[in-house]
Amino acid sequence: MTPATRRMDVEQAARDLRNRTLSDIPRSLDRLIYLASMRDYNTGLYYHDGLASRFTQEIACEALANCHREAFAQLLGCSLRDLVGQIEGYIESTHTSPRDFVAAWKKLEPYRVAVPVETDPVTAQLLFSSFKIALAILEARLPSVPTRPNA
Amino acid sequence: MISLIFFLCIGALLFFCLFFLARRNPQAEGSSTALVEARQALNTLQIGLLPVELVQRVFAKEDWDYVRSETPKSIHELFMDERKGIAVLWLRQVAEQIGNLRRFHRGAARHYAKLNPRVELQLAVSFAALTGACRALQVLVYLGGPYVAPHLVGAVANAAARACRMSEESIAFLNAARMGVLAVQRSHLAAR
Repeated sequence: MTPATRRMDVEQAARDLRNRTLSDIPRSLDRLIYLASMRDYNTGLYYHDGLASRFTQEIACEALANCHREAFAQLLGCSLRDLVGQIEGYIESTHTSPRDFVAAWKKLEPYRVAVPVETDPVTAQLLFSSFKIALAILEARLPSVPTRPNA
Repeated sequence: MISLIFFLCIGALLFFCLFFLARRNPQAEGSSTALVEARQALNTLQIGLLPVELVQRVFAKEDWDYVRSETPKSIHELFMDERKGIAVLWLRQVAEQIGNLRRFHRGAARHYAKLNPRVELQLAVSFAALTGACRALQVLVYLGGPYVAPHLVGAVANAAARACRMSEESIAFLNAARMGVLAVQRSHLAAR
């Protein structure tokens, strides 16, 4: 396979992924988390059976990596207001209590493993920092827990 | 006797000079490794640090306006600390990569006759000015926050991007030469 053919296949696979799967995921945060979950943390390779059956495993992996970088760039381009809105939307979609969600994300920082490989450290730090601020904003907006009256 | 001690000292000095020269890093500044490092510095700057979208996001005033108008005071401090940290990190990285490029050009100028002395001189001035501007901005951002000098940030990013383009054009012939060598090596390997 020549590099040009390979590039065309990867582009076609990425288009296929965008049209069939990613178009149903409107928020870039959700797309980032979905695409990061397609990656094997031991090898750094992406797996998607449907895409691999239509193309090859290597082509599917490359297409997924490209879409992952794309979703990361889109999320990075969001303003802080937009990021807060996206996290709120994501919390709603997970049906978790916002208090538990914010506490878990502040503690575990799961967004750190959602970054594509070879991301520039400054870029990654900027996103982590924005998440930290956004979570602090959401935490500040949570209704205060009513204190139980002493028996 | 005094002259004997004097010559012995000179001899010892020469011996130590020879020793240090022999122990020096064998990697020549004009070697492939140096070229690869220079290319990495260019990539980091052009793809990682200098894209307009990233610079705009790091120094985005709209985020501060949002935080100031719609969040409690406790968030203001956190936001400022975080963005100041990122801005200083960005400036430090730009200065570091510019330093890497400057070192490469300083070494390459001695090794390659094809390099244009005027361009190299322009690059040397640009690199020195950029390093100075980055250091000054680091102090300003550290003292006054990330929104203290937006025009200077834009000017530094533009000047760095220009210097990168000049550097890229200046060493383009080296890349072509290396590619030629790699192609020849590949064809030899294929023939075996």
